[in-house]
Amino acid sequence: MPWAKLALLVACGGFVYGAAMGSFGVRALQALFSATKVPILLSAATLVCLPNFYVVNTLLGLRDDFAAACRGIFAAQATLAITLAALAPVTLLVYVSSDDYDLAILSNGVAFLIGTIAGQVTLQRHYRALIAANPRHRIGRFAWVVLYVFVAIQLAWVLRPFVGSLSIPTRFFREDAWSNAYVVVIDAVGRALGGSYYGR
Amino acid sequence: MRALLGHVDRLLRGHSTRREDLLEGRVGGASSTFATAGLVLGAIYGAFMGVFAAMRATNPSWAQLGATMVKVPLLFLLTLVVTFPSLYVFSALSNSRLRGPDTLRLLLAAVTVNLALLASFGPVTGFFTLSTDSYPFLVALNVVFFAISGFAGLAFLRRALATLFEAPREPPPREAPVPDADDAPRLAGLVSPPPPSLPPIPPRRVAPPEDPGRRVFTIWTVTYCIVGAQMAWILRPFIGTPGQEFAFFRPRGSNFFEALWHTLQRLVH
Repeated sequence: MPWAKLALLVACGGFVYGAAMGSFGVRALQALFSATKVPILLSAATLVCLPNFYVVNTLLGLRDDFAAACRGIFAAQATLAITLAALAPVTLLVYVSSDDYDLAILSNGVAFLIGTIAGQVTLQRHYRALIAANPRHRIGRFAWVVLYVFVAIQLAWVLRPFVGSLSIPTRFFREDAWSNAYVVVIDAVGRALGGSYYGR
Repeated sequence: MRALLGHVDRLLRGHSTRREDLLEGRVGGASSTFATAGLVLGAIYGAFMGVFAAMRATNPSWAQLGATMVKVPLLFLLTLVVTFPSLYVFSALSNSRLRGPDTLRLLLAAVTVNLALLASFGPVTGFFTLSTDSYPFLVALNVVFFAISGFAGLAFLRRALATLFEAPREPPPREAPVPDADDAPRLAGLVSPPPPSLPPIPPRRVAPPEDPGRRVFTIWTVTYCIVGAQMAWILRPFIGTPGQEFAFFRPRGSNFFEALWHTLQRLVH
């Protein structure tokens, strides 16, 4: 499949799911915002991590397979986007059945989990031949997944809100958008353990 | 610039440290090219690292960004300048195949590999810098990235040293002529069985062959790390503590190990 088509799949799949994701409480503006943000989420994290993936592959002596490895990664992203788009009606059904914000968040979390698993299946399919030819591809894939997840979590945090709490007015970014997901988690754990406010 | 990136690419692909070249005591590429590549790659990461100081809410400092761009490559190259004489002597004492200029090229190549991986983490550092205002988080993130790239540089060096100190290939031992089957009865008469009274000969313990490559690698790593840690301490600040005015250097005094010791003490008490 050509590269442009893979990119188009990510953009379209992300747009469709984003629109469904943002339609909680039937708010057109939030739906439009989320439809824009999901493709950004799927593609920007890849772009940020790609230079490192290139250097790691070259260092591991896997440069000749770089195009194939990249194709695997983009195909995995496209699979994630398509799976999400396929799950959009289910998310809408959940929104129709309940106004519970936590349930909305949970259903989206499950949809992303299923999409990620589907993406990993595609990645594994592409990597099987590569690993058979050179087992070092295992290290390359591991380095990619760790860095990608690390960046994607923070990117998702920055791009919030995707669903949009009904009690907060619709905005593209949250007011505290430029904060750090990991610091927030450390703070929360610190507070839960009775420690002082840590991290800032 | 294109040519420089081409050199870095060949180095990362392992073309500068080909097995046949190393066995003849040669390292491909020019020292000046590696040094320039190191400076450029270090400056790229320094730029991403210094964005924090330029973007922070209180007293933003573009001067810190410029200073960090200079300091990151200097940290690695100055450490090499300070340690090169001792590293060379250690390697020569171990009867290395490399002469002085090739030893320098190999070390510069390892530093360049280290900085190339570090520079590739640059966009990630930049992204987190833009999306966070937590100074401790950024310090931890940079430490992790420096550590990962450092290990990659060490792995590159270890592989090259293992080849360099490989024992020269000896010609295969000449095989003893196998007696013909017709000779067997004649030979049986000549060879008398050993007397049964002799005690069995205990197997001689052979000491495991010493690996000079590993020894040189350990000495190099320890020397470079100790000097590098102190060099980083002298060159700080890299990120720039929020609230502090820009200074190219912090006031001289103390050293890395003393500071580490005090921190550990504070943790314990």
